Amino acid sequence: MAMLSFEKKYRVRGGTLLGGDLFDFWFGPFYVGFFGVTTIFFTALGTLLIIYGAAIGPTWNLWQINIAPPDLKYGLGLAPLADGGLWQMITFCAVGAFLSWAMRQAEISRKLGMGMHIPWAYGMAVFAYVTLVVIRPVLLGAWGHGFPYGIFSHLDWVSNVGYQYLHFHYNPAHMIAITFFFTTTLALAMHGSLILSVTNPKKGEPVKTSEHENVFFRDFLGYSIGAIGIHRLGLFLALNAGLWSAICIVISGPFWTKGWPEWWGWWLNLPIWR
Amino acid sequence: MRTLTRVALAGLVLTATGCQFFASKDRDVVQKGYRGTAMEVNYVARNQEQAMAELAKKMPAILPPAGESPPGPLPWQNVQVLNDIPVAEFNRTMVAMATWVAGGAGNCGYCHNLAAFASDTYPDGKAIYTKAVARRMIQMTRNINSEWTEHVGNTGVTCYTCHMGKPLPNGLWFYTNENQLLRHYLDGGGARVVSHTVAPSPENRSSVKQTEWTYALMITQSQALGVNCTFCHNSRQFASWEQAPPQRVTAYAGIQMLRDVNTNYLAPLAGTYHPSRLGPMGDAPKAQCVTCHNGVYKPLYGFQMAKHYPAVWGTHTDWTTPLPPPFTTPPAPPVIDTTIVADSLAAATAPAVAPVVPPTGR
Repeated sequence: MAMLSFEKKYRVRGGTLLGGDLFDFWFGPFYVGFFGVTTIFFTALGTLLIIYGAAIGPTWNLWQINIAPPDLKYGLGLAPLADGGLWQMITFCAVGAFLSWAMRQAEISRKLGMGMHIPWAYGMAVFAYVTLVVIRPVLLGAWGHGFPYGIFSHLDWVSNVGYQYLHFHYNPAHMIAITFFFTTTLALAMHGSLILSVTNPKKGEPVKTSEHENVFFRDFLGYSIGAIGIHRLGLFLALNAGLWSAICIVISGPFWTKGWPEWWGWWLNLPIWR
Repeated sequence: MRTLTRVALAGLVLTATGCQFFASKDRDVVQKGYRGTAMEVNYVARNQEQAMAELAKKMPAILPPAGESPPGPLPWQNVQVLNDIPVAEFNRTMVAMATWVAGGAGNCGYCHNLAAFASDTYPDGKAIYTKAVARRMIQMTRNINSEWTEHVGNTGVTCYTCHMGKPLPNGLWFYTNENQLLRHYLDGGGARVVSHTVAPSPENRSSVKQTEWTYALMITQSQALGVNCTFCHNSRQFASWEQAPPQRVTAYAGIQMLRDVNTNYLAPLAGTYHPSRLGPMGDAPKAQCVTCHNGVYKPLYGFQMAKHYPAVWGTHTDWTTPLPPPFTTPPAPPVIDTTIVADSLAAATAPAVAPVVPPTGR
């Protein structure tokens, strides 16, 4: 199999976090490693459990398949398999698979001799998920507070959790998270269109360089953040989107039980104008 | 030094979150629907228990049962209501009402001429408006307990349910621009804003403002009962009765009950009250959900006070007390929004499966 130019640098021994040399090999183009094995294990088991859950459920309609968490009455204990126990096992598998994947990224980063940007960045998304299905349920005292695994059912959960707090758009952390999500897409759209433009010049013209990129944005916005800067900014925006998502849901319930519009009472009650 | 700062910061965060975590045993979340749907109601149990203890402390004790009434012809003098119960029970009810409404068992003078209890006027000849209002309120209470069991169940209400020992219950409202949305509890149109087309058009004139009014109205109910939206609605489809919890039917009956109470009992008393009791537009004080509920999803936390007082039960309403003039729609308030859906349109979008509520009784 042909190798990409950078693969020579990548395909070196060592850098493993666990397992030593045991799994330090490639399967075709894919690095395996100890965490590759655990990723495959958790992914396969979790997916099979989802299929099993669908099989004992009422429908094979992809939109309506629903693996729901246990009733609140089970608290933080184990629930019967068909009454939320499956959800608990699938959650365990999902967290196992996601963390394994982050660890595998860390091992590859070590092989490449680069920083841990990628595992940390991916870890932020995992952290948001863990916040939803582990941290918040534990703080609230029941696994039943996790969200169900299903295309429609998880949307219903999102909607009802929002209305438990009367108007979720008044959640200040939700506001910040949404702002970061939209800003991320805006930045990506601006950066992506710029790169597509400079790499697809008119017929007969050479591909443009970063000088052109900078000039365009200096003309357009009065400022160009630069080729490295845009990637730092993108990372900052995307990580904050995930972080504030996690914050906005973990404070709803464990730290604030009233409606979110009421939270803004502090603003109305500022001594300047109250 | 930097490490020290970091440790201190981490400790601060842990303390702050940890305290919250350990306080979480005071929180109660009640599951109202299938697991995983997040159909849940959040209560802050600590506050609720504290509030219940406070209410129990200030709630008047149930009076001992009335003794035997004296034999012989009934001694009524100008008793226009409640003349279908024994004399001893009547007197017991009067004492209870003084506690419920006028702030103390000895405060008969709030509704009576102490020199002549049967009189409808003070010694100086002025009408005792509180007495006239009280007669109508007794009729209203019986009407609620007999005709609106879909809302009040067999718990029923007494004067104390709303008055809580005070002459003026909580949440009384008058016509103002801000209270325009509360007209839904009197004579306003439906609170429904169900858009069936994507964009506004001559056929679909539902406006954002209407939506905001409905939202504000719903929030008054939410705050009146201390519950969140998922107490009555499955937010995946707010309008759907099939997907809604049964509490929504109770709430709907409550809205119908409020319309009956406001239209037939409270609003017509505008001419009876002392002018100081009327609103800026000369209208009588009217009730809303919080008037009875006082922040609790079951008034008085479901305590069954009414069952101890036979006077508040019964369908006997052919009393001789003169009725106040019927309520008529007051002058049109200032036009605030010109995009209100016409009544016919609102009716056309009404849900076909709205629960049946009992007919208005008087």
